[in-house]
Amino acid sequence: MDLYFINKPNLDRLVKSLSKTYKIFAPVKADNKKFYGEIGENGLGDSVIGEIRAVEPIKSFYFPARTKIAEYFSTKGSDKKEKPIAIIGAKSCDLASFKVMDYVYAQEPFCDPFYISKREEGLIISSDCTCYGETCFCVAIGIMPYPTENFDINLSELDGGYVAESGSLKGEKIIKEYFKLFQVTELHIEKKDSNRKKLKDDLLEHVKKSNLPPKDSVQAAFKSKFDSNLWEEVAKTCVECGACNMICPACHCFILMDQKNENSFERLKMWDSCLLMSFARVAGGANPRKLLAQRMRNRFDKKFNFFPDTIGRFGCTGCGRCTEACPGKIDIREVLSKLQ
Amino acid sequence: MMIDNPYLPVKTEVLDVIEESSTIKTFRLKPESFLHFKAGQFVEMSIPGKGEAPFTPSSSPYEKDKLEITIMKAGRITSMIHSLKKGDVVGLRGPYGKEYPLSEFEGKEILLVGGGVGLAPLRALFLALVHDIEKYKNVLFCCGSRTPADIIYKDCVLDKWQNLDKKRIKLRITVDRKDDSWKGNVGLVTTTIDMLDINLKNSVSIVCGPPIMMKFATFKLLEVGYRPDQIYLSMEKNMSCGVGKCGHCRLGSFYACKDGPVFRYDKISHIHEIWD
Repeated sequence: MDLYFINKPNLDRLVKSLSKTYKIFAPVKADNKKFYGEIGENGLGDSVIGEIRAVEPIKSFYFPARTKIAEYFSTKGSDKKEKPIAIIGAKSCDLASFKVMDYVYAQEPFCDPFYISKREEGLIISSDCTCYGETCFCVAIGIMPYPTENFDINLSELDGGYVAESGSLKGEKIIKEYFKLFQVTELHIEKKDSNRKKLKDDLLEHVKKSNLPPKDSVQAAFKSKFDSNLWEEVAKTCVECGACNMICPACHCFILMDQKNENSFERLKMWDSCLLMSFARVAGGANPRKLLAQRMRNRFDKKFNFFPDTIGRFGCTGCGRCTEACPGKIDIREVLSKLQ
Repeated sequence: MMIDNPYLPVKTEVLDVIEESSTIKTFRLKPESFLHFKAGQFVEMSIPGKGEAPFTPSSSPYEKDKLEITIMKAGRITSMIHSLKKGDVVGLRGPYGKEYPLSEFEGKEILLVGGGVGLAPLRALFLALVHDIEKYKNVLFCCGSRTPADIIYKDCVLDKWQNLDKKRIKLRITVDRKDDSWKGNVGLVTTTIDMLDINLKNSVSIVCGPPIMMKFATFKLLEVGYRPDQIYLSMEKNMSCGVGKCGHCRLGSFYACKDGPVFRYDKISHIHEIWD
């Protein structure tokens, strides 16, 4: 695979040009944290390509928190043709979550047309992490702090610009189309590789402190603790807010809600949380997970037992967002360490 | 390519409402485009703008254009459904999930065990079995209800079905508590499994009912000699999307909506929380 170098002014030009085709989002700093903001004709502006993931997960763009998916008995699709979405600066932990989302939403025989069209039409220009956050632990579960999959173009930040690598035909086409903005490079590859190695080593050192079980033993360890009192202990400070589910790039559960809207009835698809009491409850009140400890265990069951069985991967990408979001200070690394 | 929207219901007319008991009604429905279901599969029925819930049709899958759904008033949506009248419009989508594997039942002695509103899916199954009765050795349908007034499909279970094919089709009706008019069996539905005139080696049993009844009926079947792989259960779980995406109905490594709702017991017996 050819690698290219693109300097910052040229990346800015590329973004401006792509904004004719795409609605573009990139991480922008606010309160010393990064949130995705829309950028476009004005180029990159003050968006941050390097550093770590944004606060919100990338699923927000492909599977929004609340979206209309049907109007009662109308088989017509929406006439409004929106520009497809391009994400710039997505990180490896978010890209890894596509393995889960694609499995769920593109699975036959009933595919989710809303997710699929966004995925097919969208563009992802990802980037390497250039540092790690306190709660980051991707390397401990087999995900690198630099993208290895699910991107169209990846950018590795260096002084003055980026090493660009295409990861799909779509990415290759863009590089070809805007060839003047890129230069073939071999010069920067060594630096890119040494940057990656250093960050990976630093992060491995950082996660050592959490005493996590080796990734290949996590599922067996979870099963061995299924009937233990660990879940009651973990659930002690949980306030059932569902923040861990909402902020998780790999949590895909939703609920269908109907509502009246002026002259029509519409159906919404909304993020749901398995920690909420009502999640598995059926009419009449039967509930297989009445206790909060059962629901807490279920969250880990889905991530570290169900997904390894069904897709050979964890339903966790080590992004550490749930730990940051939890008002009860439940640290996913601590829970994993207690499995052994 | 535009993929069909799996979340969009089909406009459906309520043709009739049949009162089965004080808490259970059967709705006769005609969807604008028919949902070709097989016995055991379920549909999502909705009240426009209010919400939807999963139900397994109770009518014969061989009936064209129309279907029946039997619903107990148990929550928000079912209460709204209970106030529906002839001519009202609802939404339907489906059918979803795995049906009863009729081909595996061929040549066998079939035991159906149903309790309360759990008779609904079994009625669709029973009618499908009766449709091709020569393919099966015989059918014994054990129906349990709380009181005689709670028996649903009264004209069928107490009358019509008793006289279908007396050699091949038998019914055992029981109530937990009798009233003055009741001359039949009294006792939980599990008591009807006590004295079986069935060659267990060549038999399958199918159970549907409230969770507690399913649990004890299954244990009873195991006790009288059925193997776990001869018992089929219809699992009621919270199925929101119906198409294996929303995550609500997960049962171990399965989703009840796409891998069930009909499960062979040996496939799920190891899963925690199945009876709750």
